[in-house]
Amino acid sequence: MTQRPLLVGAVAYTPNVVPIWEGIRDYFADGPAPMDFVLFSNYGRQVEALLAGTIDIAWNTNLAWVRTVLQTKGGCTALAMRDTDLAFQTVFVSRAGAGLSTLDDLAGRRLALGSRDSAQAAILPVHYLNRAGLAGDVDLVRINSDLGKHGDTGRSELDAIREVLDERADAAAIGITTWEAIGRDELMPGALAEFWRSPAYCHCNFTALDALPATRTRPWVEHLLAMSWENPRHRRILELEGLRRWVRPELDGYASLFEAVKEQEISAYW
Amino acid sequence: MLDLVARLGQTPAGGLVDVPIEDADIPTVTQWCARTGNELVAVSAGVARVRRGRTADPLADIAPDRRPGARLWLYTNFDCNLACDYCCSRSSPKAPRRALGVRDVGRLVAEADAAGVLEMFLTGGEPFLLLDLDEIVATCTARLPTTLLTNGMLFHGRRLDMLRRMPRDRLTLQVSVDSATPDQHDRHRGAGSWRRAMDGVRIAQAEGFRVRVATTVAPGEEADAAALRTLLDGLGIARPDQVVRPVAQRGFASDGVALTVETLLPEITVTADGVYWHPVGVDHPDLLVSRELFPFAAVVATVRERFADYRRTAAAAAELFPCA
Repeated sequence: MTQRPLLVGAVAYTPNVVPIWEGIRDYFADGPAPMDFVLFSNYGRQVEALLAGTIDIAWNTNLAWVRTVLQTKGGCTALAMRDTDLAFQTVFVSRAGAGLSTLDDLAGRRLALGSRDSAQAAILPVHYLNRAGLAGDVDLVRINSDLGKHGDTGRSELDAIREVLDERADAAAIGITTWEAIGRDELMPGALAEFWRSPAYCHCNFTALDALPATRTRPWVEHLLAMSWENPRHRRILELEGLRRWVRPELDGYASLFEAVKEQEISAYW
Repeated sequence: MLDLVARLGQTPAGGLVDVPIEDADIPTVTQWCARTGNELVAVSAGVARVRRGRTADPLADIAPDRRPGARLWLYTNFDCNLACDYCCSRSSPKAPRRALGVRDVGRLVAEADAAGVLEMFLTGGEPFLLLDLDEIVATCTARLPTTLLTNGMLFHGRRLDMLRRMPRDRLTLQVSVDSATPDQHDRHRGAGSWRRAMDGVRIAQAEGFRVRVATTVAPGEEADAAALRTLLDGLGIARPDQVVRPVAQRGFASDGVALTVETLLPEITVTADGVYWHPVGVDHPDLLVSRELFPFAAVVATVRERFADYRRTAAAAAELFPCA
């Protein structure tokens, strides 16, 4: 009997999610592990669907991965991630010449954070402040403008930058991708400057429950890893999704977020 | 910049975003677009129009030998010994001669070669009415493979001598034969023309030329394809050299396939009157590209640009016009 295609869930954080996943589905249609996809409006609904068996694999953010691990008590597996997910970072920026050069300089100042469910723009920045002994010493300006999508839209991070430029905050914590997207401090010299950058951590991964047999996931992962930047049809999808190649997961990169979720008492559920 | 980044982030690939811009910010936005792989389409009246992502190359899916600028058609003269009732260029014995002349042909071919043209096509009216046609043909074949369209009816006397002086290796003669028997062909092209065209095919073959036969099918007159194929196979015309095309609703033809500049894959066509989008449209101003023949590279660039615009517009319309 023919097996039904693997069903992969993803969150629709941009209209480009549609061509991305249609492209990936078409790529898999010619391979050993055909798949289809389902789009969700937020990560909460997606993880629920994964746990309910409605979908086989979830394209999860790091927070969605942590919550899946917590909810399943470790009964899930990370299958693959983007090369760019291996070394994600949070960047602290301020107006150029604002006199900030270390995290300690934030004491008594205002730090704009992105949506509270964004690992890169809220949860981990607070974790870094706590590690620096600044818990309670920094006035946090929270901007929850894209809740549910774990900061994927970048919207709350851009809003955080606006807070800085409009002088409602002294600094902002943003993901490296947003910092790159606005051209770092090179396109608008004198406007913004980076004064601290976090250690690297992992971001998204494809998550499956352990109940999904390896005979189903292995050919799917192998075919995913075979996508090539050199192939123009693959490249279009890879560019839209923000990677050059798919890689096998490295789970150590989630340790800091597990710690942050625990110390900030962030719920495993939505 | 932040508005631009935010709005593009929510824009589908290929979609357009308009953002207010001050003159001082234009270099920054230009650099940002170049750096992030987005396209600054235009800046006008304080508004920057930016396309999300790189525009797909409209030429990428077209075979290299059919891309705009790969083929160059020359209308050598316009006058003709026949008055076919579906002639797209209104050529006939009454049409005044509008000849390009050897000098302009020479310059065109040289510039076309440099501009990346791969193949030349010469058409009339009937080119063999020109008594310097052998010189024109030699000028073309010296640089590029050339196809010469003819009704094949004038291969005698000094025009046969002229034919014999033409090169064999880079020249294809394309003779018009519309049917396997005289009736259909003669109904549109004139009594006795089928027999003389068939004689022309045989003469050209006997003289060692590669011959292609082009069949024009009028609306409601499907050619007896099998009989025609048998005839042409019997003459030794290779299958790729047996070409069938419908009548275009252009020129004398009141019926036929409707063609528009937006939907025609351009094949740049030069006449004494100017440059046209396609050889079917030299009698129609909607297909006029330019009155200026030179510099030819600029003509090719214009056609490619317009074609890319049409394709992008069509793609955008498809995106913007969902019916459900």
